[in-house]
Amino acid sequence: MTPPAGAEVLLEVDNVTAGFGVTTVLHGLSFSVRRGEVAGIFGLNGAGKSVSMKVLAGIVAVRTGTLRYDGVDITTMAAEERVARGMAHVPQGRQVFAALTVEQNLRLGAYPLRRKDKSRYPGVLDGVFDRFPVLAERRKQIAGTMSGGQQASLAVARALMAEPTLMLVDEPSAGLSPQVVQELFHTLRAVAATGVTMVLVEQNVAFGLQLVDTANILQVGQIVHSGPVADLDQASLASYLGVGRLLGGGASAALAGRQAPASSNGVGPPKRVRAKKAVATKNAVPAKKAVPAKKAVPANKAVTAKKAQSRDG
Amino acid sequence: MSLLESLTSGQNLVLALVYGGIYGLLAVGIVLVYRGSRVLNFAQGEVGTVGLFVAYFLITKQGLPWWVGALGAIATAVAIGLLFERFVVRTMVSATRLSVAVATVGLLLFLLAVEFRFAGESPRTVRGPIDGNGLTLGGVVVSPTQILSLVVTIAVGLGLTLLLRKTDFGLGVLAAADDPTAVRLVGVRLSRVSAFTWGAGAAISALAVLLIEPTIGVFTPGFASELFVKGLAAALVGGLTSLTGAFAGGLIVGLVEIQVGSLTLTSTVPGIPTLSIFALILAVLLIRPAGLFGRAVASA
Amino acid sequence: MSALSRLPRLMRVLLLMGVLAAVPPLLTRVAPSLFSGLEANIVGTGTYLATAALALNILMGYAGQISLGHFALLGVGAFATGVMTSPTRLALPYLLAVPVAAVLGGLVALVIGLPALRLRGLYLAIATIGFSYAMEQSVFRVKGLSGGSGGIDVPRPIAGSFTFLKTADYVAILLVLLVAVWALDVNLTRSRLGRAFQAIRADEAVASSFGIDVARYKLLAFVLSGAVAGVAGAMYGGLVGTVSASAFGYQFSLLLVVLVVVGGLGSRLGVVIAAYVFAVMPRLFVDIFGEGIRGWDLIIGAALLMVAVRNHPGGVAEALRERKDKRTARRAQAAGLTDDPNPATPALPQMPRPASRAESTPLQPGQPVLRVSGLTVRFGGLVAVNEADLVVPRGQIVGLIGPNGAGKTTMFNAISGLVRPTEGRIELLGRDVTADPGHRRAAAGMGRTFQNIGLAKDLSVTENLLLAQHSVAEYSGWEALMSVRRAPRVERELRERAREAVVALGFERYADTPVRQLSHGQQRIVELGAVLVTAPELVMLDEPSAGMSPGAAENLAVRLRDIRDQLGRTVLLIEHNIPLVLDVCDTLTVLSAGRVIAAGDVDEVARQAEVVSAYLGEAVPA
Repeated sequence: MTPPAGAEVLLEVDNVTAGFGVTTVLHGLSFSVRRGEVAGIFGLNGAGKSVSMKVLAGIVAVRTGTLRYDGVDITTMAAEERVARGMAHVPQGRQVFAALTVEQNLRLGAYPLRRKDKSRYPGVLDGVFDRFPVLAERRKQIAGTMSGGQQASLAVARALMAEPTLMLVDEPSAGLSPQVVQELFHTLRAVAATGVTMVLVEQNVAFGLQLVDTANILQVGQIVHSGPVADLDQASLASYLGVGRLLGGGASAALAGRQAPASSNGVGPPKRVRAKKAVATKNAVPAKKAVPAKKAVPANKAVTAKKAQSRDG
Repeated sequence: MSLLESLTSGQNLVLALVYGGIYGLLAVGIVLVYRGSRVLNFAQGEVGTVGLFVAYFLITKQGLPWWVGALGAIATAVAIGLLFERFVVRTMVSATRLSVAVATVGLLLFLLAVEFRFAGESPRTVRGPIDGNGLTLGGVVVSPTQILSLVVTIAVGLGLTLLLRKTDFGLGVLAAADDPTAVRLVGVRLSRVSAFTWGAGAAISALAVLLIEPTIGVFTPGFASELFVKGLAAALVGGLTSLTGAFAGGLIVGLVEIQVGSLTLTSTVPGIPTLSIFALILAVLLIRPAGLFGRAVASA
Repeated sequence: MSALSRLPRLMRVLLLMGVLAAVPPLLTRVAPSLFSGLEANIVGTGTYLATAALALNILMGYAGQISLGHFALLGVGAFATGVMTSPTRLALPYLLAVPVAAVLGGLVALVIGLPALRLRGLYLAIATIGFSYAMEQSVFRVKGLSGGSGGIDVPRPIAGSFTFLKTADYVAILLVLLVAVWALDVNLTRSRLGRAFQAIRADEAVASSFGIDVARYKLLAFVLSGAVAGVAGAMYGGLVGTVSASAFGYQFSLLLVVLVVVGGLGSRLGVVIAAYVFAVMPRLFVDIFGEGIRGWDLIIGAALLMVAVRNHPGGVAEALRERKDKRTARRAQAAGLTDDPNPATPALPQMPRPASRAESTPLQPGQPVLRVSGLTVRFGGLVAVNEADLVVPRGQIVGLIGPNGAGKTTMFNAISGLVRPTEGRIELLGRDVTADPGHRRAAAGMGRTFQNIGLAKDLSVTENLLLAQHSVAEYSGWEALMSVRRAPRVERELRERAREAVVALGFERYADTPVRQLSHGQQRIVELGAVLVTAPELVMLDEPSAGMSPGAAENLAVRLRDIRDQLGRTVLLIEHNIPLVLDVCDTLTVLSAGRVIAAGDVDEVARQAEVVSAYLGEAVPA
């Protein structure tokens, strides 16, 4: 997942301002994403996360600054053209085509692929159905009638149908129950393992930090921190996200969680750099902070279970 | 005529089917444009009338075959639809939908003015596509044009459904109605979706007007305005977003109009069929505000 | 000018009526070649169309309700006038027919308005076309009512021995009526009625939060609009002499919509100009280009309409406004004023308050300002809020926190009456308000803000502060329309209070600026002012710090404490900015997945692990 240090930059955002009407939301946004990397954008509500994604997608116009993607200046390129060049989207709120069937959704997802080469479609479809058996079972079902979790899978699957180079994933966990978030986490990680570059915007910081290689923290339309997750310690995270006293109380759950899967998991590409980074993370976080983290874990689990119950009931 | 006689009259049934099919076609055009641009196109019917004038010129005046005139009519209508989409609708993406609807009123007035200026008010006729006397089926007289009209209505309905459901672009058109942004994000060009809906809407309208003219008899400028209102009623009864619903709505409106008309032929109160269509609209809106076929079959 | 403006308003209106009305009869007698019956007819057409456009403007431009069948209401007025005045019918004086036309127009409009309470947008539009079509095809052709398809005669009015036979003389009456309608319209927009309409157009939820009974005011807009349309019908009837059904086709209703949109929705002057231009244009074409233009004039006119709407979707009014905006923007730039994310610091303790609301409502000891018990809100299968309890004691700042999608805003909406709870009970100041509509809760002392700013954004800062005082503006609709008795006095008080509020907020410079042009942070401050200007017992704030810079958010903390300590109000706060919450709140209630997972003292709650994980999300066990 983590690209080699010298990997080529796939996406470069340079000093971008954007907004709606008289309001400016992004005041000089700059960051870059290397090929094969999972980059996260985090921030408080209203910091400009969504607008950043819309600017990358080409739905909100750039006022000043430039966007470069795959060596091409895409600052003024139409959204559809960006898709044709290998960008795919998992939009906020999933936005599956509610009136169409699962298979029709996937076929529309493959729209750029089929325009280039129809013959590859069956293979890609089979691959996606292998990855999402639930969608294979429900291929004739109207998407709008599926559960939130299934729609989340469909949204990811639809993006994969285009065989994208870059996937923009906007708030995937919003509105999903904890178990579903967990499934989604594994899905996204497995996708990342195939080498797809991703930009992830996520309000659930703990969830997001576990997925990304680099974290970009957004405050009032500007990136105030950018770097490998490993370099992010609890104190700076807390101050950036303004969750200081909550975190200080006992749990650096977010960062501890970031370590947990890295150190204990077998998911993801076994020989990739992830293990190395886990070591780095351990080094970066002082040992005493790991202790409360451990304490917090059972509590988290308890809540997960409780919430799951309340959803069922 | 008693209620039972009227309901079982074959002649009424045929008329209801023919008119209902035409209303259904117009409703499909209205719904297509509405789905593509969220706009009510007030010129929807009149685009067809302009086509009819072209057909009159080619068929009645020049003596060309019917199908040449029909092609000319459809081509003219499509050209108007596409030009309007390209130079007005598309430049108004960020305007309120009401403003775009007002621009379509401008188009309606423009087309009417052109008709009056170049054709005038004298009544005209265009002959039907097939000559010869009507068939008599079990005492019911059906003209060849009426038969063709039924066939074409069904063919257009089926063809459009296939096009929309079985092609990538068609799926994009269907999906664009619910979520235009998400459609852009899979790479479908919204401008093409919009052009398609306006072009197809205009073509369908020209076809519908051409097919109903021989049954009505003569035409003058503004010929389609009444048809348009009934097409609107059909679209609304069907739920505004559903193409199947639009056809069904057309048949329901046709049936109500013809049946009520035949039952109240001798009434001293004028316009009862129109009143009954209005009552139908109100009833549907109050009982099922999203139309009879709203949401449920919104896919096509 | 100055002498004129010193006259009482009524005198000025009467003077204007007199002067305008005198022009056509004088002109036609002094210069008959310049102003013959033809020209008078053009002015008459423009005048009745202007009145009709003003009627539709009340409905569409102010209240935001669409009607594509308004010309049928003119028909109601015209036929009513015919039945009243025709020698073969009642043969009553024209002066009597006008109010009857107004009343009938209003009544019929009320009937159309009823479905509008349930229908929106296109559905309403088509229903109104259907109405107008049915009227034209059926009702207007019924012999007993309207003389059948041949129509009905509307004789010119008679005053003593003088008959207004000359069109120029009759037009004088039309101009008097137009000025009267214009004056009523001015009164309307300067009163709580007009502001309520505009609030409904902007956002019904916001309108309700200011205490506006949305359904009632929507119907009122239909009735007023219908009454004016009825008057326009009476004007039309006398002008043409014979009215018949075919003159009221739905195409004419579309024409009215064109006039209102081209003039600019909500712009009185714009729609009147549009109407007169429409009336004059054919004649102008002929005068300029000669008779050969006939036929082409309509083609060119329609093409111009398309181009005009395409280039200026907001009509004449928008085009003028844009030019003005550009000028102000240039001036602001020259003066070095730019859009700053850190808005002015308001001095909330200086916020004025209505005399009737200054004191706190007495409560039983131990009784909270707000008590929510067992609140459940279901949307279809989704349980957004699940048996939630919430207590807001007087004089506290209570924080309602939780992750996105936890149900905080839904709970807010249920408390303020925008969403109907499936189960549960809501008590405000010891009274069960569960069954009350939102506007009544607002009037009872509940003020709230919205995530996307609860203001009418096209209105200025001052107008919004006036709008916010809807529930304390105690005068009737009649007083408002005629601008008599309590209305002028109460309006003066409201305006004075709004002015003081503008000063307290530090927005003097922006008093007349449309809210839309302010920065997000500035809009937040104005919204806060709008909520506080009626001194509600409970102030509910939905993410006030969203989009603010850290500095501005710190500022906000001070303001929130002011609301509690200086203004003595109680605050319920939804907020994502945790430092702010921990800083200012006395107690916290934490929602997660629709349930309350913690409640109590701030420090206590902040220590609970569940809260931390609910808020930051779960680390996914791999």
